[in-house]
Amino acid sequence: MRHLSPGISPELTEHVLRVALRNGGDYAEVFAEDRSSLSVRMDDGRLEEVSSGIDQGASIRLVKGPTTSFGFTDSLDESALVALAERLSASVRGTAALPSSVRVITLDPRPLPRLIPAAVETGAKTDLVRAAESVARERSEEIRQVAVGYSEGRQRTWVGSSRGPFATDDRTRVVLSVNVVAQRDGSIQTGHETLAGTVGFEIFDGAAHLRTALEAADKALVMLDARPAPGGRMPVILANGFGGVLFHEACGHGLEADFIVKKTSIWEGRRGTRVAAPFVTAYDDGVTPTMWGSNAIDDEGTPTEATVLIEEGILTGYITDVLRGEKLGLASTGNGRRQSYRHLPYPRMTNTYFAAGDVSAADLIADTPRAFYAKSLSGGQVDPATGDFVFGVSEGYLIEGGRVGTPLKGATLIGNGAEVLEAIDAIADDLEVRAGMCGKEGQAVPVGTGQPTLRLRELTVGGTAV
Amino acid sequence: MTEVPGAELLDVGRSVLERAGGLTGDIEVYVQHSQTLAVKVYQGEVESLVAGEPRGIGVRYVADGRAGYAYTGDFAPAALDEVVAMAATNAAAADLDEYVSLPHAADVYPEVQGLWRPSLLSTAVERKIALAVEAEKTALGSPEIETVEESAYVDSATRMAIVSSKGVEVYGEQTFCYVYLSAHARRGDDVQTGLGFVTGREPEELDPASAGRDAALQAARLLGARPCPTGKYTVVLDREVAAAVFGVAVRALSAEAVQKGRSLFAGKVGELVAAPSLSLVDHGLHPDGMASASFDDEGVPRKVTPLIEDGVLKGFLHDTYTAAREGGGAGSTGNAERGSYRGSPGVSASNLMLDSGEGTLEELFARVGTGLYVVSITGLASGANPVSGEFSVGARGLLIEGGALTSAVREVTIASDLVSLLSNVGDRAGDARWIPFSGSVYTPSFAVTDVTVAGT
Repeated sequence: MRHLSPGISPELTEHVLRVALRNGGDYAEVFAEDRSSLSVRMDDGRLEEVSSGIDQGASIRLVKGPTTSFGFTDSLDESALVALAERLSASVRGTAALPSSVRVITLDPRPLPRLIPAAVETGAKTDLVRAAESVARERSEEIRQVAVGYSEGRQRTWVGSSRGPFATDDRTRVVLSVNVVAQRDGSIQTGHETLAGTVGFEIFDGAAHLRTALEAADKALVMLDARPAPGGRMPVILANGFGGVLFHEACGHGLEADFIVKKTSIWEGRRGTRVAAPFVTAYDDGVTPTMWGSNAIDDEGTPTEATVLIEEGILTGYITDVLRGEKLGLASTGNGRRQSYRHLPYPRMTNTYFAAGDVSAADLIADTPRAFYAKSLSGGQVDPATGDFVFGVSEGYLIEGGRVGTPLKGATLIGNGAEVLEAIDAIADDLEVRAGMCGKEGQAVPVGTGQPTLRLRELTVGGTAV
Repeated sequence: MTEVPGAELLDVGRSVLERAGGLTGDIEVYVQHSQTLAVKVYQGEVESLVAGEPRGIGVRYVADGRAGYAYTGDFAPAALDEVVAMAATNAAAADLDEYVSLPHAADVYPEVQGLWRPSLLSTAVERKIALAVEAEKTALGSPEIETVEESAYVDSATRMAIVSSKGVEVYGEQTFCYVYLSAHARRGDDVQTGLGFVTGREPEELDPASAGRDAALQAARLLGARPCPTGKYTVVLDREVAAAVFGVAVRALSAEAVQKGRSLFAGKVGELVAAPSLSLVDHGLHPDGMASASFDDEGVPRKVTPLIEDGVLKGFLHDTYTAAREGGGAGSTGNAERGSYRGSPGVSASNLMLDSGEGTLEELFARVGTGLYVVSITGLASGANPVSGEFSVGARGLLIEGGALTSAVREVTIASDLVSLLSNVGDRAGDARWIPFSGSVYTPSFAVTDVTVAGT
């Protein structure tokens, strides 16, 4: 196991902040990171590659008036950090500002994962990948290809700002992804499934990876029977779990405070107003341990929390970092996040989900005469200014007479965030949160997206059959 | 900013090779050093200025048909020792694959002129900021533009060297810059957004006012947009949309996809797979293409590879591995690419080029008569599957009626499959341009018949 970096101390942080502010400034921050990663890739029946690497460095942010200056160095040495602080301070002119004394924030320590991945032998990881691959491949003769990827990462962070707080975090994430290709005659279909969490190697206890592999295989196989999806407007039921992409795209991005501050979100000015039916409640929850988008401390040094975004249909909260929050008169919600020390933080979601309702998913479906049923989604995109969003359906079905029937392929769903929230007419009790990666400002961060099964009165289904 | 001449990167590579002296396998060292700047402007003032020098080393180690990979951003001697040791350890865990090998040095590397422009680094940051300010100001000067959410100037000067125990010792460098902005138009409660961009190899080549005008025009002309009726349409894909679609379709033309059973085009070389008017070339050497270089990311010379000629499939894109597996003396087409030093190379297109058509876009609308002009699409990553060929994405645009643009359209999807899309490519405009944001594609706007539009 690799020797762990000591990171940066509160004393060094205070010194560097003092240098950064020597020509003035309203806010300065140091963020340091030490990350080690390992991945295993199996494809085409062969264990193709094990790859590992180390990322280590620090960045400084200096804010004066409307302008943020940002730089980074691939080193945690005092001399490199001071040189960077000097360079940034040269970009402003004025009298020195003094940082507040460093105030070390201590949280109840989160226990390390039971099985720290770096302490597990590589052979156990390759065995796991091989087992998942073979279970998927043996599912059916129609399975033509299987790719399995395992990756682990441990990211340790140190962050301190001129407002005083200094905090550290130690984040271990593990993910297994399975991609399957099935073929029958001329038809090729794919199935994808992941198992991921902010956890250690214990995520695979009870052979969870084999279930993930089977689910990916079954998705590809069931879609071999699929007919082209219809095109046009109809009722839609979104299954629990990754259906939470709906909230993420339709609503979550537009609640991120950078869009609110610039008044380029449809949700700006709507706090305190009704945006959905009274049975709709939604959260951004960065604090629940083990969830894929969770951290103890965000990338600005703020402890994470569970923020109520929509409470019984009323818009109650925004997703914010420190500086955008100040402009809105709000405290940071612990959502200042960045891909790495080489990136500027932005307000980003952690784990977003709709709260559970009280009917069962089975009853909800049985109560639906006809609908498009989106069982599994492949991601989406939104324009926060207009609220127009799309998401791709990787596994869809037609519901007729309260029964899930024919599989349907090739559909993207399209709608508008404000309209779709109002269109939710039933929420089931089967809340589940799934792992995904969210892209914004060219940065990818892990997020959880979740929901119980829910029904929309009407949405546009973008299939080919008319 | 410090100057790092090529010799220094090659020296780093050589010193890593020396550290592997005791190992029996082959080793390849990829060394990358960039200088990057990103300035965002908002309401005439600098909102953020991000500058950095990301650098790193990626090591590929191959012994007895097993490959391993490791990377680090730390150039200290201990870290270099560690990265070599990690790559060798990782290789031992892989399965044997007789086709895995590192490429030999080439006898000749093609020259591509003009990839590096010293002025990119010597231009004052104030001048670069002014470019983003000008783009914002131009857009705000247009009627109905309420705000520019952000206007940015971004540049990079990247140097890289590859050194291997098979004799490869190559060094390359290139500069790139662009200005982009997102403009918001408002009429009453209706808001629409538009993007504009210009790209070049040095700041002098950029015309930020044209980016500002494009963003403003796109946003303003979509005001009042509504869903149109569901049905089969002839769609005209704007060249930016066309570039994005080809960026996805070409993934099925990589030999890696073919060999691993993930391509609809497997076994179809010599067959008609697209409209007879369509030709598609992967051009790794074009002086205006963003992906052009003397060599690819494993040090193999870039080439010009015909993929589709008059609708007939001519071949696939290869790297060293897929070429060896293909056999029959086929060599790599110089299409190895890696996202950064953190990853081992895989097969990817360089610059895709389609033939331009004739006349202006307006003349194309006149020839098409009735249809939907698509100016932007969303959800390509989740809605286009290059393995199954399924294709369904969100679209915004304007109806074409009586040979001219009429009302604006939003909240619709366009859906087809990649095979039908390629077969139904029709008339083209003469407006081909390099589009650098979904790979690097040179394409005109063109019509595609028989596409399902789902709206009301």
